[in-house]
Amino acid sequence: MPGTLHCVVVTPEQTALDQTAEFVALPLFDGEIGIAPNHSPLIGRLGYGEMRVKSGGTTKTLYVDGGFVEVAGNVVSVFTNRAVPAAKIDGSAAETQLANAIRHPASTPGQLEIRDRQIAQARAQIRIARRARL
Amino acid sequence: MAKARALDKRRKSIRNIRKITRTMELIARAKYKKAMDRALAATAYTQRVTQVVARLAEAGLAVSHPLLEAHEKVENAALLVLTANRGLCGGYNGGVIRIATPRYQELKASIPHLRLEISGKRGIAGLKYRNVKIDETYLQFNDQPKFEEVEPIATRFLNDYATGKLDRLDVAYTKFISTSKQTAVVETLLPLGSLGGDEPAAKPGAKSGEAKSDQTQYEFLPSAESILKEVVPMSFKIRLFKCFLDAAVSEQIARMVAMKSATENASEMIRDLSMTYNRARQSQITGEIMEIIGGVEALKGT
Repeated sequence: MPGTLHCVVVTPEQTALDQTAEFVALPLFDGEIGIAPNHSPLIGRLGYGEMRVKSGGTTKTLYVDGGFVEVAGNVVSVFTNRAVPAAKIDGSAAETQLANAIRHPASTPGQLEIRDRQIAQARAQIRIARRARL
Repeated sequence: MAKARALDKRRKSIRNIRKITRTMELIARAKYKKAMDRALAATAYTQRVTQVVARLAEAGLAVSHPLLEAHEKVENAALLVLTANRGLCGGYNGGVIRIATPRYQELKASIPHLRLEISGKRGIAGLKYRNVKIDETYLQFNDQPKFEEVEPIATRFLNDYATGKLDRLDVAYTKFISTSKQTAVVETLLPLGSLGGDEPAAKPGAKSGEAKSDQTQYEFLPSAESILKEVVPMSFKIRLFKCFLDAAVSEQIARMVAMKSATENASEMIRDLSMTYNRARQSQITGEIMEIIGGVEALKGT
């Protein structure tokens, strides 16, 4: 089939996903990006959120925890700290992280940044976990 | 018969020990293979990160980041020592402790606040024996350290470094150089000296990537600076994770080698003991025969 993507997801421990896909949606740092075949070369910074890989009518959903995406020549390589299938996300752990992060006082820009990151991570996980349960 | 029986008993117990050491060797070998696979997976990941850095450099971006710069005053430092939870692995733990102790004393003398963090029961016991105050201990790292477990530690160090609570981080661990060579080293991880993989294996990979990408113009989203901001903490996390992986692989190799030589020694001892046992038995038989002959001779005389 002309124009399919090859999607590879690597974490420091393992290759989480290595398959062909028709469409890949990724959470970039400042919004979602959709990558169809023959996309122009790109390096993007990932945010925390949901990654969808569409192939042959089925969609796989993963939570990706920051990292980068590199698109070149119909190969989408994602490298992230963690890639968790939507069904395996621990929603309650994310809830506690969110609660802790909100409670934690932040007075300097550095601390603020850390808190924002924790909140973003937790919220994204909760969102995906909720959607997976529906 | 007493001496011969004692020898036989000893030989039996050595045989049992040999069985145990041989099994331990096999287990260590299996674990080593697994740990090695994981280390290789991590190397693939490191190479990709290095590649991104290379692309960024191509785009004409000056690589600078707070993590790369040393703080002006070094008042808070941390020393992380990675040892094993178990013994019976030759000089593995001893080597790390031996190299970590002088560094600890050196840092203690020059820096007012020093935290000492140790992973592994053996290191904790070894340094407690030397009367060193330990601030934090980790026991959860076994033969397969998980990135999820290392990451919180890395994040804590990063956060402390960013907020000025930490000015320097040293890690003492056993570096895996090749299957036949591992050495205990102390490395300074914060401030990060350079980006990307410190191992030379990652560099040729990055270079070939560079050559290929000559024609391709990459689009950076949201911006090259923003990517750089993320790449630096990430490469720190990977480096720390790599330390843990190296330590795990080296531990298994050390145990494999130690158990192998233990098995060989046991075999040698069994051989020696068998010889002594046979000799003792033979001399006893000879002695008995002599007694009988002596008795017969004595009867003849009367």
